[in-house]
Amino acid sequence: MSASTNEIRAGMKVEVDNEPWLIINNEFNKPGKGQAFNRIKMKSMISGRQVERTYKSGEKLDLADIAEQQMRYLYHDGDNAVFMDEKTFDQINVGPNIIEPMKQWLMEEIIYQVVIYKGLVVEVAPPTFLEMVVTETTPGVRGDTSGRVMKAATTSTGAKIQIPIFIEEGERIKVDTRTGEYAARAND
Amino acid sequence: MPHEPMTNTKILLLHDRSAMLAKARAFFAERGVLEVDCCALGPCPAIDSNIDVIPAEVAPFQIGYLHTSPEYAMKRLLADGIGDIYYLGHVFRQGEIGRIHNPEFTMAEWYRIGFSFEQMIQETCDFIQLFLPGPLKIKKITYREAFAQYVNIDYSLASVPELLRAASKLGLTPDPTWPRDALIHFLLTYAIEPSLGKEEVTILTHYPPHEAALACVVEKNGEFVAERFEAYYQGVELCNGYHELADSLELRQRFREVNATRVRGGKPAYALDEAFLSSLGSHFPDCCGVSVGVDRLLFLRHKVQSLAEIIPFAWLPS
Repeated sequence: MSASTNEIRAGMKVEVDNEPWLIINNEFNKPGKGQAFNRIKMKSMISGRQVERTYKSGEKLDLADIAEQQMRYLYHDGDNAVFMDEKTFDQINVGPNIIEPMKQWLMEEIIYQVVIYKGLVVEVAPPTFLEMVVTETTPGVRGDTSGRVMKAATTSTGAKIQIPIFIEEGERIKVDTRTGEYAARAND
Repeated sequence: MPHEPMTNTKILLLHDRSAMLAKARAFFAERGVLEVDCCALGPCPAIDSNIDVIPAEVAPFQIGYLHTSPEYAMKRLLADGIGDIYYLGHVFRQGEIGRIHNPEFTMAEWYRIGFSFEQMIQETCDFIQLFLPGPLKIKKITYREAFAQYVNIDYSLASVPELLRAASKLGLTPDPTWPRDALIHFLLTYAIEPSLGKEEVTILTHYPPHEAALACVVEKNGEFVAERFEAYYQGVELCNGYHELADSLELRQRFREVNATRVRGGKPAYALDEAFLSSLGSHFPDCCGVSVGVDRLLFLRHKVQSLAEIIPFAWLPS
């Protein structure tokens, strides 16, 4: 499978020089009478390195052979995190290079989207919203319930986020993992 | 996608857009240049190696093409003796979507009979200055000088390895498998253009003969060059002007070469516009012409991030 430079969008995954890359952006450039180019910024899904490459418009890039599987996080084993495939019950170990950047969203029994490139885990993506407990914050101030005044907090997963001042330690909240922002009180 | 209400800022920018279109028309009226509103949909496409035409189904089994510029139609009017003319309206180009590209954009194109190449450059600068904070200085640089100054090569002699080395010295990484002309365009786009017109309006002149398009080729300082110019302000290309070629045999030959280039590049060849070609001849007046991107001028005038901010409804890049 391949895609023309005109079809490449942010978020797509391509294979260049035997490595999978996540597209960051794609900028079209063309002198009026000259050759059109696309300058494409991409990030290696293995090393995280960012590069910019220029293609002639209409050139084709191979799409990366990426599989995405739903996997449940079981436990930590030394430096590795152990996940289980929801369908086959196979277990896999994911190394610290992948886990470290997202460990603030790692919670047992939660199902993650695990991205596999040629048999190798390259990304573990958390659900968009995660429920967690506020483990550390300053005492709440009564009166302000607008949700616009914020204070610092740490959650059970170690995530450091801003929460409204009326939330107390021990409360369950919903966090948006895309932005790392407080979304709502969890209702239970 | 649902309608998104416009911000007040955008409404104000559209008011200014309207005022500037009126100013542009006044500019031509003062100079006695006649407005012509040539048809945007014609039976023949314009032929250019790197510009793709948007086809349209005019009637069942009848394909027409949206014009990429009103050039051929305007030249037919010039051949018939209409005198100095301008067009201010929309043109269309396939696949051109980006921060400073929209597949439909507003072009001011005009022709001046008896104008010298230098006079045409001057009038183009006067038009551009209507839109920009000024007065701005004008700087002229030839295509040869630009490659010497910014890339440190002789564009006509440098080999492919030399072009690749020059790019690498500037921190640029073109694909080493590209043909020579793609490397030249790459260097022009990424090594030269961003530096043009930093403080002043820069006019790039005297293109190599194979980049002549529809311009006359003349001998200057012992080499053949095209009397073609482009203007840049803050790295943004604003126009394309020619001392117009009137020789239909020469033009026919160039169109054939362009079609051959298109086919080599995997693009379709286009049918020649015989009505246009046959209108040229000894009665075609000696003239210069230029087309200016009006949206780009408004983009620079208001220092915005993309054309979408000054066009009522733009196509959005990915």
